[in-house]
Amino acid sequence: MNDMTIVIRSLRVRLLTSSMTVAMVAIAVALLLVIMSMREAASQAFRRGTGNVHLLVCADASPLVGVLNGMFYANAPANPIAWTKAEEIRASFPWQWAIPTQLGDSFQGSPVMATRSSFLSQFEPVVGQPFTFAAGRAFTSDFEVVAGSQAAKEHGLSAGDEIVFTHGSGASRAGGHEHADHPYSVVGILNPTGSAHDRALFTSLESSWIIHAEERREAQSTEPEGEEPHEHHEGEHDHAHVDVDDLTDADKLITGILLRLPTRPGSDASASIASQFDRLRRDTAITVAQPAQQIGRLMSIVGDVDWLFLAMGVVVLVSSAISIMLAMIASMELRRRQVAVLRVLGASAWRVFALTVTESTLIGLVGSFLGATIALGGCELASAILADRIGIMVAGTIDLRSMAMVTLGAVLLSSLAGITPAIKSYRTSVARHLRPIA
Amino acid sequence: MIVAAIDISSTSLGVSLSGVRFAYRRGFALFVPSLEVQPGEQILLAGASGSGKSTLLHLIAGIEDPSHGEIRIAGTNFLALRGAKRDTFRGRHIGMIFQTFNLLQGFSALENVMLALMLGGFDSSDQRSRAESTLTRLGIEDSHAPVENLSVGQQQRVAVARAVAGNPCVVLADEPTASLDPANARKAIELIKDAARTAGAALIVTSHDPSLIGAFDRVLDIGPLIATERAR
Repeated sequence: MNDMTIVIRSLRVRLLTSSMTVAMVAIAVALLLVIMSMREAASQAFRRGTGNVHLLVCADASPLVGVLNGMFYANAPANPIAWTKAEEIRASFPWQWAIPTQLGDSFQGSPVMATRSSFLSQFEPVVGQPFTFAAGRAFTSDFEVVAGSQAAKEHGLSAGDEIVFTHGSGASRAGGHEHADHPYSVVGILNPTGSAHDRALFTSLESSWIIHAEERREAQSTEPEGEEPHEHHEGEHDHAHVDVDDLTDADKLITGILLRLPTRPGSDASASIASQFDRLRRDTAITVAQPAQQIGRLMSIVGDVDWLFLAMGVVVLVSSAISIMLAMIASMELRRRQVAVLRVLGASAWRVFALTVTESTLIGLVGSFLGATIALGGCELASAILADRIGIMVAGTIDLRSMAMVTLGAVLLSSLAGITPAIKSYRTSVARHLRPIA
Repeated sequence: MIVAAIDISSTSLGVSLSGVRFAYRRGFALFVPSLEVQPGEQILLAGASGSGKSTLLHLIAGIEDPSHGEIRIAGTNFLALRGAKRDTFRGRHIGMIFQTFNLLQGFSALENVMLALMLGGFDSSDQRSRAESTLTRLGIEDSHAPVENLSVGQQQRVAVARAVAGNPCVVLADEPTASLDPANARKAIELIKDAARTAGAALIVTSHDPSLIGAFDRVLDIGPLIATERAR
């Protein structure tokens, strides 16, 4: 028998109220931890995806939209860039590398990037961490495809599978049509990179150009002049065969160019980025973005909303502390009788004060522990939702500093919440509360 | 036998009150010029409801402070003790029994008794054995049962066990039979008297039941001790 036994019994006598207050603290702690974790993880995840790209050229309405579309697969870019423009940009400066990309097709909701195989060898989704293969190899010829780790996992793909792409992005898959005439062979599966590229599939530009050129030519040959092209349905195609050699500049459309300037060995920075950025910006036909800078801008835009969420979490935590206080005050009549008995049996006023504060602290401790446990599960869930909905790969973990800060804060608030009931306990008139209840 | 006051010796190891005065808010005052209860002595504080019997017990227990006077328990000037010292002293030397028992809900019979011993400053190693032996002596078979699951009679036995387990100097019982029928009241009083006698404690019982007068060594009628403030 010790003082903790008294506290635990007191909580057990008011089991429903105690459970409810513990649940409130747990929810508040979990909410705050998930918000803090996601806030940091989302920021890191955005910074991961841009990798070693210095500049992104696209035809989107704004640099930020271009980065979100071109590097995070938010949507298929609406405006193409002509191949001649791409060649012009490529030849305008001795880039370390210039990789054209085209987005627009998808496989069961996962975005398909048509690009050069150099994307898989020279582009690093995280600086210093190039793509590596879990199975197979990079695409070397037309109609071969490499799947990102999450895409492969989600669709159960493995090397040797044959798949068919859908025209349109994941969001529009319901209305898109399949490129059924041209199945792709899966030749490689990538290891996870922790970036949005994990949920994409990669194939050659020529494959994509051929498919779209064939469809465009079929449409042109079947539609009467002056009428809008009608929607294609399965089995309705007139099969026009197109080879790489048949492709014209009009067929060779891309949606972005990833550019990297020469750097010194061991360095990711280049002194020419600003001047090349300014030079390319003068061309009004294209949009130029510095991906890292745009992500920084995005973080500052969402930062205010971020703080609002954080503030809401703190408010919920304070509310839970107030609920502890109210619950303890509400049970004061029963508690006063208990206090009076304890006093008669030899407990000092300070001892019953300490017992009451210990009770509220224990609620905070148990609530914090449960909240932290719930938060770990919540982070996993939130990271899965973020990956699924907007393609941001975030680690579902909570750093120890945040966890210590929030749980200690919750315990401290719970202790403070116990002070008012403890003062009431301290001041309880023993003689009055020992009398029989009328 | 009605005794208004008994002169005391300050060296007594029982309970002694001298010149104790307590003023009520409504203008009345309780005045006890002198009262001594020897160790092992068993007295009844008689008087009508609201006559101040409980107040006198509370004064002896140190949970109400008189405006004047001295109260000694086991030779110690109890009122000179302040705060936690007085509380600990009460826990160690005074056992209390209430009309509605005031057992702590959520605790077992054993835990109720052990709790009193803990707050009375008994070693943790001693608490269980003392509590178990006292409960067994008083006929509690299932000492691990929550007190709310016990019968009224069993609850009263647990309340008595809690009061005497620490071998206090004095046991104070406040209207312990008020809610019982005459036959059970008699049994309860005998139980309390036996337990106090076994513990070697003085026993002071309050009751407005005249049928209990013959069961005690002495009876103190509290009526003459209370008067208006002006009269004192």
